[in-house]
Amino acid sequence: MNMRILIISADNLGISIEQVPYQHFEYLKYPVLVGEKEYRETETFTASWLLERFIKEKITAKSSSLSRAEMTDLIEKNINNYDLIIHIVMGSNMSAATFNIAEEVREKYKGKVNIINVDTRQVVGGVGVILLRLIDIIKENEKEEEIRNRARELVVNTFSYYVTPDLNYLYRGGRIGKAKAFLGSVLRVLPVVGLMGDDPEGEVVPIGQERTYKQANSLIINSIMEKMNEQKADKITVSIISGDESNSEAINGLRQEFVSSVPVEKLVTGKLHLVEAIYMGPGGYGITVCMK
Amino acid sequence: MRREISEIKQLFDNISEYFWRHKEYVNRLNVFPVPDGDTGLNIALTIQGALSNIPGNLPDTILAGEYLKLISDNMLLNSRGCSGVILSLFFEGITEVLENNDFSRENILRAIEKGCITAYKGTDNPREGTMLTLMSELKKKYSEIMTTKENPLEIIIDCIPHLREVLDKTPDMLPILKQSGVVDSGGAGFLIILEGLEREFNSRKIPETLPLFAALRINSVVKNLLVKRFSHKKRSDTGTLVQNLGAGNITNARLHKIIHNVQQYLKNRTHSHNNRYRAREALIKDTKEFESSWNPDIRYRYCTELTVSSDKDIDSQALKKQIINYGDSLIISGRGNTFKIHIHTNKPDSVIKDISLFGNIISRKVDDMKKQHRNFISFDSIEYENEQSVFCIVSGEGFKKILQNLGADYVYDYGKRKPSVKKLVDLLNSLKSKNVIAAPDDRDILMTLKYAASLCKANVFIVESKDAISLISLLMGKTNKINNTNFLSRDRINNIKHFMISKAAKESSIDDIPIKKGDFFVICDNKIILTGRELKDVATKAINKLLNDESIITVYNGLHVKGNKLAAGLKNKFPGLEFEEYYGGQTQYLYYLTLE
Repeated sequence: MNMRILIISADNLGISIEQVPYQHFEYLKYPVLVGEKEYRETETFTASWLLERFIKEKITAKSSSLSRAEMTDLIEKNINNYDLIIHIVMGSNMSAATFNIAEEVREKYKGKVNIINVDTRQVVGGVGVILLRLIDIIKENEKEEEIRNRARELVVNTFSYYVTPDLNYLYRGGRIGKAKAFLGSVLRVLPVVGLMGDDPEGEVVPIGQERTYKQANSLIINSIMEKMNEQKADKITVSIISGDESNSEAINGLRQEFVSSVPVEKLVTGKLHLVEAIYMGPGGYGITVCMK
Repeated sequence: MRREISEIKQLFDNISEYFWRHKEYVNRLNVFPVPDGDTGLNIALTIQGALSNIPGNLPDTILAGEYLKLISDNMLLNSRGCSGVILSLFFEGITEVLENNDFSRENILRAIEKGCITAYKGTDNPREGTMLTLMSELKKKYSEIMTTKENPLEIIIDCIPHLREVLDKTPDMLPILKQSGVVDSGGAGFLIILEGLEREFNSRKIPETLPLFAALRINSVVKNLLVKRFSHKKRSDTGTLVQNLGAGNITNARLHKIIHNVQQYLKNRTHSHNNRYRAREALIKDTKEFESSWNPDIRYRYCTELTVSSDKDIDSQALKKQIINYGDSLIISGRGNTFKIHIHTNKPDSVIKDISLFGNIISRKVDDMKKQHRNFISFDSIEYENEQSVFCIVSGEGFKKILQNLGADYVYDYGKRKPSVKKLVDLLNSLKSKNVIAAPDDRDILMTLKYAASLCKANVFIVESKDAISLISLLMGKTNKINNTNFLSRDRINNIKHFMISKAAKESSIDDIPIKKGDFFVICDNKIILTGRELKDVATKAINKLLNDESIITVYNGLHVKGNKLAAGLKNKFPGLEFEEYYGGQTQYLYYLTLE
């Protein structure tokens, strides 16, 4: 008999929900706080809506961890229909609270249903790419231990790069990590920061800083090629995401240069969600590659 | 994380912290194979590097044996210096056995045995009287007393008194240690690690040590006193001073003995002339030997360490054959497709080139041991606090701020007066860094910098940058990889296309281009390419001449630019380009313009 597997995650995938090619998929929405008011992503409250308010109204926004009650409800609702639940969670070093809640829920349902919490070490874009690759793996293999091991492999082989014209969005959100070194530049620079799956500390790290988008894109591509060499990867899964149209030329440049110089197996053009826009800010874009 | 793993992690963290606090004690013993005073630092960084690279979110299923193996793999990759590499080899052998998660006292013995084999085998010329001897003695003593207790950790702790005795005997095994009056530094480091383990049960104070410069100075005073008496020179107060010196405060065993013997010699006036002559001659010989033991001829100057990785297995024997003749202290560790190499050599570039034939070099470190040795024995020796720093020398307050923000560890703004050698030596030393990448904004400073580099305490890598823009270019390439010494400085300095504008103070002709007094002229790649009466016209022509597919023009105003909006004026001429304007504050040129 086939094992019934449910995958759950949240709306910080960097890809739209329609892009998830798996029938048994459920997701939660992160609460976004603008001032005192809490928002969840809807057709009205989107990443574009928030980015526009950042520019026009100079507002500040923050997110909070996923709700324990909502997570429990989701499990409760599905507990009898599935043999295994895989929860793809944003990196525990980015949000320890969310991962702890996921662990508590796993403990609560121990003996009733098996839950695997995958600590992705990723956020924007990276969570989505790990989800896509894990779906491929589940389609090939249904053994729990094998899935667990392969998920671990995916995590350490996934690398995200972000071009964020204004690092203060990341800083205000408390996710700046080691990229703090790039803050406060007198020169207008484009910081390129990253989340490296093979970095045990799982913090945002500085990759480099450039003056033009073209230079930033070259830096990212060179860094990915170097990583591919290190990991001995010959084909990779890629997701490119952006929040607004202001940098479409840069993103097209990145896509073209990428496709012409790197052997890509699957290229996904993602979508920025409301919660992700908090950290990217206007004009930001990112690229995630999975080398397994 | 499981409780068992958390406890192991805590134990290692505590040992690392304990060792870090006592690294200076180990540094001060470092005389073999080269007295460069960094054994303590190398061991401390080896342990710390291993622990800091362990993933924080390990799976719940991980067992103690696997966890120790993970520490061992990281220790190997992060090992530094001879002692660091030998320690990591020993631990590699231990964890290979413990991978089976059998922590019985019998299996721990097998693990220590395997650790010894791996450490001896991995060392090209294993010498007794070093850390290796202590490892071997641990194995023997453990085997001898194994049946007394059940808990293997307690058995190891019970071996410590014996190992202390062995450490005290290392000077009898390695003559250089006896001559220098110290025990082996690597061995002492190994013992401190075990004592860190013991400290979990009870504590013991590590002895204070006399700074090496003080020991050498005392020895020198005593030698001079004896030589002067030998040549019948006038008596001085030094004799009285030496007679009253509290020899008990001198922790160096050899110097302690010398002082004791000299005091006896000075006190005893009843011997015959011939006997006193011979005794004095022997004492002078002692002081000279002590002095030379800390000042050996360093045959191979550079301590070179590399990690090489390939997509297929590396033949370690072929690798050894390829580089063995480049120097000594060769240690090759690792397995499969990744190996760590340590060698003392005078040709680090050739070693790197030859090793690159076997795969990609993923990390490398080259330390100048002569430089470190000079620092180690000097009265003003520096305790290094950083592995590497970036030091920029620039004219202009604006550029100083820009470079600081871009990540330079220290920027010296020399204004109009170029820095002296002394100033640069002081600044380089104040960084307390083992390696410094130093880059000036003017070629005229290079000679001064090179001389200062030879006098300061750090290994200085000079980047022959030619102007402030080269420094910006250099720092734009500075990433988090700098500590892996992957900082290919020289490749980065010419990445930004730029030119300078200045104003002629007198009439002249350069490169067949006539320049009138008051003319503006453009310098690009060290050549004057344009002149003219109007600033905006000259700048426009220069941009047109150099522009390719760049999109941003940046103007850096010099100290003497007053209220001139060059960037705004140029914006009208080039509406499709983006213009930015900053204050550089440079004195050499009115403007720097970059095209990016």
